[in-house]
Amino acid sequence: MATGFFTDATLCIGCKACEVACKQWNELPSDGFEFTGNSYDNTSQLSGTTWRHVDFVERESIDENGITASWSMLSDVCKHCTNAGCLEACPTGAIVRNEFGSVFVQPDICNGCGYCVVSCPFGVIDLIEAVGNGDDAGKYALATLHEDRLNDRKTALQATGGVAGKCTLCYDRQRIGMVPACAKACPTESIQFGEIEELRERAKRRVETLLERGVDARLYGADDVGGGIGSLNAFFLLADSPEAYNLPVEPVLPSTRQAMGYAAAAAAALALATLGWAIFRGDGTDA
Amino acid sequence: MKSYYDRPLLKGPHWGSNVVTYLFLGGIMGGLGLISLLSDDRPEPEMKKLRKATRYTAFALAAINPPILISHLGRPERFLNMLRIVKFKSPMSLGVWGLVLYSGAAGANALRELADDGVVPRMLKFVAPSATVPIQALLGAFMAGYTGVLISATAIPLWAAGKRHIPAFSVCSGAASASALATLLSTLQGNHDVIPRLERLEMAAAALEIALVADFRKRGGAVTAPLFEGRVGKRLRDFTIIGGIVVPFALNAIGGAFKLPKSIDALRSIAAATLTLVGGYVLRESLIEAGKLSANDPHVAFRQPS
Ligand code: SF4
Ligand code: SF4
Repeated sequence: MATGFFTDATLCIGCKACEVACKQWNELPSDGFEFTGNSYDNTSQLSGTTWRHVDFVERESIDENGITASWSMLSDVCKHCTNAGCLEACPTGAIVRNEFGSVFVQPDICNGCGYCVVSCPFGVIDLIEAVGNGDDAGKYALATLHEDRLNDRKTALQATGGVAGKCTLCYDRQRIGMVPACAKACPTESIQFGEIEELRERAKRRVETLLERGVDARLYGADDVGGGIGSLNAFFLLADSPEAYNLPVEPVLPSTRQAMGYAAAAAAALALATLGWAIFRGDGTDA
Repeated sequence: MKSYYDRPLLKGPHWGSNVVTYLFLGGIMGGLGLISLLSDDRPEPEMKKLRKATRYTAFALAAINPPILISHLGRPERFLNMLRIVKFKSPMSLGVWGLVLYSGAAGANALRELADDGVVPRMLKFVAPSATVPIQALLGAFMAGYTGVLISATAIPLWAAGKRHIPAFSVCSGAASASALATLLSTLQGNHDVIPRLERLEMAAAALEIALVADFRKRGGAVTAPLFEGRVGKRLRDFTIIGGIVVPFALNAIGGAFKLPKSIDALRSIAAATLTLVGGYVLRESLIEAGKLSANDPHVAFRQPS
């Protein structure tokens, strides 16, 4: 049974309870404070240590009624793609698909090569900066499995950073039958957790209702997003175009470019080998 | 154009000069595999010398490059985790295996030369079959090319748009740099007779390289701006396009057309080879740096290259 998130922009009030709940449960450190001036968004982006991020989209329209301003908020998260760029790219096999259908980074396997970072079409996963092995070693003690949390808080954890981090879809909570922390904390049910098929049904009904009411509403990732990625296990209901929330309109699965790449390299190598053969051994005295 | 406060959509590479060096040396290893094959089993003494020089150098680079690769990892002590699996969908995974196998073939070829030179017992010559020569050349082609595939198969728009060009000109750049390095080594050894051939190979590789780079610029459109414009573009133009391809090509052409006095000719050839090597390094560096800039522009990331 695959589980996932349905995050609905039309219900989000921008309280950031999801961001806080995620940080707390997963013991994620602060990324530092930067006053961006971009509406109420000082989180700015998902990172190796920020796994929920609330977008604050400000919209203004001027017509005969004067200036109307409106907000649309959306809690962004790792999409847990059906075909995940990060998972395909990972050379250590640290990134796996777990029994809940989520894309999970095993922190004790990852060696911090950073290839997943550039292979995510949504700019989600990132490296967690390494910190010293001394006093602050526990600073990046991220939660993983429930057992590890109980037994030794540091063993399977990303104790000293230097590895990749992103949403685990609360693997540890799911394993003991709990709802992910963000969905639990969301006061408006803008973040809903559940079985994917059921969530999709719910999302489609919700869009219909909204469209009837004359609200601009569209689903993102409930069905195939194209580019070889397939559908997203964490999908969204948007009240504006994807760009407004910093989501790609046409994401592409990076591995689809490999065949062409290898073919181009082979063609160049063959051309050079032929020229080289003529230059080095083309004088008829081949031994 | 709509965007989210112009914030980057993608995350750029965390790679620095160690990765650039790895890519650069990987390209040279690839080119040396080709030269080692081209000079294999020839009666001329200058070819024999070249053969030995390329094989020893390739082996030395195969020993130097893995530590450089390892140094870029967030957790270097876990490097071996890359050897837990073979993943055909990950160029990074295949690349590590390519490096391991290349090192094996390079080691076998170096061992045969050592036996031939009498440094190790001659008997050992029979331990390493001569099939390792074409094998090293094949793996070398892979070594020089996979890094281009590796960056093209990412979400970074500039790299993604270069899926046809970047792997191909990476191979060319590797071959040109390897010829340049072999030229320098042959000059040091006083093996002057082999240099004209190396320089012709370098010219062939450079000509193909510049054609591919120009085509990439022409077809890539706005996505390629970070590579060809601004600070990175200027450096690429000065050190790679002009300094690393056009000038050495001209110097090599002069060397091929006129019979210069020996000492002047040696200076000419050293200058051409050195410039080519610098150009090869700057090419890789520019690709990585421009990739970071490309990742910062959300507008090119909303509709990603196919
Ligand atoms: S959104 Fe990015 S990090 Fe999340 S599963 Fe997809 S590719 Fe991986
Ligand atoms: S940084 Fe870690 S999770 Fe990401 S690709 Fe490398 S080994 Fe895999």
